[in-house]
Amino acid sequence: MSVDIIELLLPFKAEYVSIARLTVSGIASRVGFDIDTVEDIKVAVAEVCNRIVNIGSKLSQHYKINFAISERSLKVLFTCEDKSIKCIFNNEDAELAVSIIRALMDDVEFCTDGNYILSMTKSVGENK
Amino acid sequence: MSGELNIKEENLGNSIEVYLDGEVDIYTSQKLKDKLYGIIDENQSDLKINCRDLSYIDSTGLGIFVGALKKAKQNGKNIYISELKENIKKLFMITGLDKLFIIEE
Repeated sequence: MSVDIIELLLPFKAEYVSIARLTVSGIASRVGFDIDTVEDIKVAVAEVCNRIVNIGSKLSQHYKINFAISERSLKVLFTCEDKSIKCIFNNEDAELAVSIIRALMDDVEFCTDGNYILSMTKSVGENK
Repeated sequence: MSGELNIKEENLGNSIEVYLDGEVDIYTSQKLKDKLYGIIDENQSDLKINCRDLSYIDSTGLGIFVGALKKAKQNGKNIYISELKENIKKLFMITGLDKLFIIEE
């Protein structure tokens, strides 16, 4: 099964989070999600971007969103050259964002051992 | 580049109604916070937030609603939220905020 990759490099600035929202909406539509699920994925992606932007980085100018598109699913990976950005949802003030992300996506890996900040997946036909 | 947020306010006598139009995200949320907190500080009235034209809100915006509610309750007042779109109502339910706020159709 082939996987197409699209990458988006964004500055740590709040005004560019909307670009991530627009991009993932287009990609999720292309995968074949219905309009409500596209909205869910958009909200979940924006929550992660918000958190990354709020935490910020002194070592890196950008963070990267990697969209892995397969026939029936979309996997979204968030990475940054600044490896100190890792467990970004551990604080109590992230509670609302965590509950939103968990509810809207099928599979979410927070605080991973992998080379990324967070991974989330949504599959067609597995709406929560 | 980011979504727009327009906020209008109407004094109904015993309450203040605020109309949100556009998107509340990390970029526009400070504007919402300043407006809601300002209204609560300056008025001894309940606050009604009309979301008929609110197309998007994230946890930053929801957090501001919660902060505003705490502030209003300290003054013995309440916040009513009305005309939520389905996608936004879903976020209130996911986060449990539907039980915290008085939500009107």
